[in-house]
Amino acid sequence: MKRFECLKAIAPLIKNELFVTTAGGATAEWNGVHPSDGNIQVKTLGLCSSIGLGMALALPRRKVFVFDGDGALWMNLGSLATIGLHQPKNLIHICWDNQQYESSGGEPTVATAGNIDFAGVARNAGIKSSRTATTVEELQQAVSHALTQDGPHFIWARIEAGRAEAPPLQYDELENKYHFIRYVEETEGINILRVPMPASYLLK
Amino acid sequence: MGTVAGAQQILAGLKDAGIDLVSSVPDINMLQLINLLYEDKQITHVPVGREEEGVGVCAGAHLGGKKPALLMQNGGLLNSCNGLTTTALQFGMPILLLIYYAGDIGDNAFHMVGLVTEPVLQGLGIKYIVMRDPAKVKQDIAGAVTLANSSKRPVALLLTRAVL
Repeated sequence: MKRFECLKAIAPLIKNELFVTTAGGATAEWNGVHPSDGNIQVKTLGLCSSIGLGMALALPRRKVFVFDGDGALWMNLGSLATIGLHQPKNLIHICWDNQQYESSGGEPTVATAGNIDFAGVARNAGIKSSRTATTVEELQQAVSHALTQDGPHFIWARIEAGRAEAPPLQYDELENKYHFIRYVEETEGINILRVPMPASYLLK
Repeated sequence: MGTVAGAQQILAGLKDAGIDLVSSVPDINMLQLINLLYEDKQITHVPVGREEEGVGVCAGAHLGGKKPALLMQNGGLLNSCNGLTTTALQFGMPILLLIYYAGDIGDNAFHMVGLVTEPVLQGLGIKYIVMRDPAKVKQDIAGAVTLANSSKRPVALLLTRAVL
């Protein structure tokens, strides 16, 4: 299956869930399929799963998706253990595994040799709802399940290599951040950017 | 290990400054503070396995409306440099860094990490205070958090044994 077909298949299932998307091809493709202020791009390879964990813990009643890649997950494989430790019920972590560093030119990753079972790693790290999807239908089912059941959820999406034509991102990271935060403020009814001074800190 | 009184003062300072989530990797000198964080009901405590994960946790927590801090040793500051640069600084994220200053004057184990700590913070463009006066703990924490929020950048507090 191709990542772009998968993204098109899950977009209709989405309401106002939040998306943390990896430094890789999934980000441009997802923003092409589902443009939303609820999408935040990531610039640090590997850090999307940790950012998603922090967000899920901060907003425990909101479903948070992480779009990871095989190269990125390899760089921060320990994040699966940390997610397994903290058990965020609202986290849906999808690893788009194309068995290469596609954005870097196609070099092999840990997944290329076929030895690693990412779903097994996640399950054994304590992420009990861990599935493997090799067809678009399996992926759709796994996402539907994750949207309706408590997690944490991990989905190992085994995809073909190749990127779809997708428009460049509309916003740079700063504008993306402000749009994202304003979206969270509006949809959660909270204030994030206006911060009062600490009670003990008075300018003289 | 630090003292209970020192840890209590730091925890009170964090709460006064509005910090409500702390991600951590342990150091022996912060044992008392970490023990308090495990018990505390107001602050969400998120232990992580490696410090750069903590940068991600704090960044995600900020995007979700929390006021985050990352507690670690200065060796962990070195582990987290790319996350600090390409996530915390590049996106403009207010994160309080609480860093135990190993290798400081009087330390007998980690002189190299002590030697590079302040130059690394300067290189990253992260403002910092070296905390040596227990009487100024609350003021230093509040000032660092105020600057982090207004500059939308990480600000660091280097914790020495004198305040722990």
